[in-house]
Formats: sequence, structure tokens, C-alpha cells
Amino acid sequence: MVMAVAAGRWAALSQAAAAPRLRAAALSSAVPAVSGREGQPREASTRRRGRTPQFVRSQAPPRTERMAVDQDWTSVYPTAAAFKPASVPLPIRMGYPVKRGVPPSKEGNLELIKIPNFLHLTPPAIKKHCAALKDFCTEWPSALDSDEKCEQHFPIETETTDYVSAGTSIRNPKARVVTLRVKLSKLNLDEHAKKKLIKLVGERYCKDTDILTITTDRCPLRRQNYDYGIHLLTVLYHESWKTEMWESEKSEEDMEEYIWENSRSQKNALDTLLRIKASENVSNVTEEELLASDLVNDYRNSVIALKNEGETENNMSRYKESVKKLLNVKA
Amino acid sequence: DVIGVRLAGSCVDTQKPKTNPFVSISDEPETLYKRVSLLVKGHDKAVLDSYEYFAVLAAQELGISIEKVHNPPKKIERLTLLKSVHIYKKHRVQYEMRTHYMCLELKYLTSSTAAVYLEYVQRNLPEGVAMEVKKTKIEKIPEHIKQPVWDTLPQVEETEVKS
Repeated sequence: MVMAVAAGRWAALSQAAAAPRLRAAALSSAVPAVSGREGQPREASTRRRGRTPQFVRSQAPPRTERMAVDQDWTSVYPTAAAFKPASVPLPIRMGYPVKRGVPPSKEGNLELIKIPNFLHLTPPAIKKHCAALKDFCTEWPSALDSDEKCEQHFPIETETTDYVSAGTSIRNPKARVVTLRVKLSKLNLDEHAKKKLIKLVGERYCKDTDILTITTDRCPLRRQNYDYGIHLLTVLYHESWKTEMWESEKSEEDMEEYIWENSRSQKNALDTLLRIKASENVSNVTEEELLASDLVNDYRNSVIALKNEGETENNMSRYKESVKKLLNVKA
Repeated sequence: DVIGVRLAGSCVDTQKPKTNPFVSISDEPETLYKRVSLLVKGHDKAVLDSYEYFAVLAAQELGISIEKVHNPPKKIERLTLLKSVHIYKKHRVQYEMRTHYMCLELKYLTSSTAAVYLEYVQRNLPEGVAMEVKKTKIEKIPEHIKQPVWDTLPQVEETEVKS
């Protein structure tokens, strides 16, 4: 009997002295619904219960408890730093909540550490930085307060782009592109030079805004591209002022706008009028007189308007009136 | 009469502007920027909103006039990949990358102001955010384009050029 009791007590002792994993196992077997995850912390606490707290760190209270409401926040976060839950006195919760729960709190929250925070850029911090930087800024000249004045005094616009991004290299090949824009009315060009320049430049000129746009990216550096753009502008300017010998062979198809003098319309009109006069047996009227007359002038203006501006109601009615007057046709 | 009497012992700071020892003034004329346009790209709209508040406040504090602040629409890049390493063509997985934009347009900056503002704003660019800066510089017409070169050169005896 005693042996059995002793054995029983020994068994009990061995059970208690041995790993509480047996007890945990017993507990887990007793409560099969408990998952393995919950068994571990219980094991640590039960393990620590019997031992001296050698490795238990004394939990100091977080810094937030000692923070005054009117403290200087710029000294807590002077530069960009990760989110420290013990240094930020805000009860933030972030993350997806479990079922019938709340988002996780800030202690040990990886989501709060991952996202970039702007705790070092609060409005008072920004104001302090800008107050220190203000000495290095210069003022814009007050005389140039509108876009028109800027254009009048500084007609050439140069557009460049800088790229900032994180990566293995800070260089970006698109940064060498330079775009020069200038209004042709600001350049010193006469009629012939302007028409020649527009022909030379082709697509780069916009008729509606009168702006010539030169985009260069053939050189490897931005400064070289800018110099090349200015060089192109210089060359175009000088070439357009030169008159080549073959330019005198410019035909009617090459003209940019319709010119009535020496055109078929003028010949036809004069021809018709001369024949009308001949049939009426009026004394010989010379061509210059006909050209100077009002009827022909009217006709000339209406034809020029039609050809240059296109067919509008106004232009068509003007043409109708002038033809009726010319041929003396009463409606 | 108390009004006209100066209190003895009060120090009056007359013409003595505080000169910042770090500021150096150079003689070369400043280049003028008619418009500086910042386009900020990121994957997280909340980060871009905070950055917008920071950039706008910094511009206001430094005295830079802001023309427009707007958010161009986001771009979503989607790709469809096979879910499995081998075969199972009918089962795919789809990923998407969203890029949000924020555009800040500033008017009338000098080169020193632009350098100061851009360096401040770019140093505080958050991680994972990219920026493109478009600067429009205005300048006068260069001297050599005012008149054709042959008008300004002194009269030289022209030699017969064989056409």
C-alpha cells in the first residue's frame, strides 16, 4: 500500500518536476479545441512562474507619459525617423481588424512603421525651416508681374526637366531634353525672312500662337543640347535673311497666301471687262484704269478674302455682290 | 513731457541688419523661371496628400506664388500572370500597380529661390515617391540674333564668289 502511495506521489512529483509540457499536453488533450498557438505563451508563463525573473526586462514606462502637452515636438522628431510607438503620444490604431474586433493598436504595429510618416514635418517645424531658409531666397523683380511683360522683355523660353526617384542610379536619360520656344514677332525678321523661316522650320511652327518650338535631345548633356538649340536658332535666322538665286523661281504653288496680282483671276476679270467694253464700243480703256477702278478693287478684295480666310457667309456674300456689280447684272 | 523722453539704458537697434554668415551674394545675374511645375508620383494617395500640404505650406512661407495645385487622374497598370509554375493555364492571378499623381505649379521664381525650395522639398521627399520638375526659364534674345551678322561686320572688300 505504502509502495503504491509512494509510487503515486513519485509519479506526481516527477510529473510536476518534469516539463510542464506534460501538463500542457494534458491540458491540450483535455481541451481539444485549443490550438497549438495558444499553448506556447501559456507554456512560457508557466515556465517563468517557478523561476527567478533573470531574463525579464523591467518595463520602463514609455516616454509618452512624461510628455507635456505644450512640448517642443520638433525636438522629439527633428529628422525623418521611423514611427516609435513609445515616442508618439497618439492613440493610433492601424490595420485590418479581426472579426468583431478593432484595428490593432500602435505597439508593435508593422503597418505604422512601414508607411512614411510626416511627424518631422509638422507646421511649426516647416515654419522654422522656412524662416532659416528665407535668407537664401531672392525676390522676383516687381516690374515683371504679368506674363505679357515677361514675354515683352524676355521672349525666349527654355524648358528643362529634372527627375528625382529612388533607385540604383540618380541619372535619368530623359533629363537631357531641352525645348526652346520663341515668338517670331519678337525676332528681327522682314516679310521674306519670316516666310522663308516658316518654310525651313515646317512642323515646329504653330500659326495660331506664332510660336516656334525647337526640341533638342541629340547631345548627351543638357548644356550641350541648350547650346545646340541656340545654334539652330542662329543658323535659321541667318539663313532666312539670305536670298538664294533659285528663290526667284518661286511659283504660285509655293506661295503661302493668295496674291491677286498676276493671277488667273486678274487676267480673267480684265479680259472680261475689256470684251464688255469692246462690245459696247467704248473708246479704248487701258488696263491700268480698269485696275484702279472701284469695281475691280472690290472684286479683288473679295477674291483674296475667299482664298485666304476660307468660305464663310460674309465672304461669299461679298463675292456675290462684287461679281454682280462687275458684270452689271441686276438681281 | 514724458512722450519725448527716451528711457535711459534702453538699447535701440538702429541700422544694423543681421547678416547671415552663410549667405554669399555673387555678381552674376539671376536666371528667371517663369514657371516651375512639380509632378509627384506615388503609390499611396494619403502620403501624397500629406506631401502636398507640406509643399504648399513651404511655398507660402518662402513667399512663392502658387499658380495651381491639382491631382491628375491615377493610372492603374494591370498584369495577368499564370498562377502555377507549370501548366494550369486556366488559373491565373492578376496584379495591379496604382500610380497617383499630384501636380504643383509655381509662378515667377528666381534661380536662388528655386534652388532653395527644390532642395528643401526634394530632401524631404518620402520613400517610394518620385518627382519630375519642369522649369521654364525666360531670357532675352542673344546678341548675335538681334541682327544678321553681315550687317554688323565692318565693310570688307568682297571677292568674286564663283556660283
